[in-house]
Amino acid sequence: MENSLDTALLIVGHGSTVNPFSSMPTLMHATTIRQRHIFADVACCFWKEEPSLRDALFFFRDPAIREVCVVPNFISEGYFTRTVIPRELELSGPETGRANGQVWKYCEPVGNHESMTGYLLERAREVAPGVPEREATLLIVAHGTSLNDNSAIAAKLQAEKIRQRGLYAAVLNLYMEEPPLISDWLNLTETRNVVVVPFFISDGLHSYEDIPVLLGLETAQARAESGAQEIQGRSLFYSTAIGTDSRFADVIIEQAMAQRKQVSQSVS
Amino acid sequence: MRALAQERALGDWAVKGLGCIGQIAIESLDDGTFLLSHRDDAGRADLTIHSGAEHADRLARFDDAENYRPLKTAPNLRHGWKMSLSDLEELRLALDHFYPGRLAAFFAFENGDLVTTPFRETLERQSGMYRIAAQISEEESDELIGNFCRSDGGCLRAILWRRDRIGTLPSTKLPPEKFDPGHDQAGAGGPVIPLLCQEACNLLVAEARRVVQAGR
Ligand code: SF4
Repeated sequence: MENSLDTALLIVGHGSTVNPFSSMPTLMHATTIRQRHIFADVACCFWKEEPSLRDALFFFRDPAIREVCVVPNFISEGYFTRTVIPRELELSGPETGRANGQVWKYCEPVGNHESMTGYLLERAREVAPGVPEREATLLIVAHGTSLNDNSAIAAKLQAEKIRQRGLYAAVLNLYMEEPPLISDWLNLTETRNVVVVPFFISDGLHSYEDIPVLLGLETAQARAESGAQEIQGRSLFYSTAIGTDSRFADVIIEQAMAQRKQVSQSVS
Repeated sequence: MRALAQERALGDWAVKGLGCIGQIAIESLDDGTFLLSHRDDAGRADLTIHSGAEHADRLARFDDAENYRPLKTAPNLRHGWKMSLSDLEELRLALDHFYPGRLAAFFAFENGDLVTTPFRETLERQSGMYRIAAQISEEESDELIGNFCRSDGGCLRAILWRRDRIGTLPSTKLPPEKFDPGHDQAGAGGPVIPLLCQEACNLLVAEARRVVQAGR
């Protein structure tokens, strides 16, 4: 990996005022990336936690830092990536010049990265080791019916891509709040083995409480995440949110690097 | 790696004797390392010493009763720990976990670069579910900010923003020292690295929305 010591990385997360786990994966990925010494500085900011996006306007005040890559740690494009982040960070487009000469580059959200499909598959294999994929159904679950993001569309897209690889008996995208519903999984699936990967950035109330309940799991059971849970003659394998995967740190770096390249190509 | 300007500034503040930030005491030791503790615990010798900035996030996230702290500058930092940090880089990382963004705000302030945003402007910028927060009245704002931001029980930041563009003070219910960056908001009168508030936080905006909704 090429070093970019005139470049800083700003990872933008949603955060939460009630859920202490919401920002943890973002902070964890930042620590991982910081330890690799690829960037001059690495910081996070959040919509609902400190530091705020507005606070981030005062970060990276070092004359050696010429560029700041802003990477949204979000599953999909939507209200936050299109409205909130540009407004709060005063970004005018893919590239924004600041009064001090710094250039802030606005990158794609992590969930858009092409490697996401591979990570979902790896995650599914890890929670259901030894389960033949041909005899299993993979459920990519997301929130759905939210004005704030397009996570339902993103989940659908990922399910389609995985389906095209022809590995699993079936691949379905299910949602908490719109059909096809997670709570209908017993009717919607035919195989004995069912693997569930939440397409979320963090393990919050949704993946810890709401989705396990919709699946018919005891929430504590789901949290323990120890192999299969038996429900009505089916074996259910439940993963933590995809965003907690340590490989997300690589995706964040790649999104930052992709934007740097793209902008320098369009300039030259 | 070369120290960043922010780290060098932190070193200068330590030399100047700014030995506290919020509820944290910063001890600069002769070997160039630093020892942090809750200011209430500074004299205790019976505490576990954590080493490394990565422990700071966990300590900052929950209060003494293990409740989540959505506002890190609230005066409810947990007690009963010490933290040893090997250099300025680690000190900065740890303090950025305890008081996210505050070092950068003070650094910008010292350089004359800290831009403040009036409360009304922050509210008017909101969209989505927070848009209605802008409907809060002047009296309600005065009351809300006076209560929500107060240093005893609310938040330890010194407020630098004004309520509107004509410079109305944030709240008549707050003492003048709440707007003084040189004042130790934790009440001990020490020389401190101040926790500055350059713009209303999301929690205050959410409270303004709640006030508007409750009045409907
Ligand atoms: S607006 Fe500023 S002073 Fe008031 S609670 Fe939020 S951070 Fe603290």
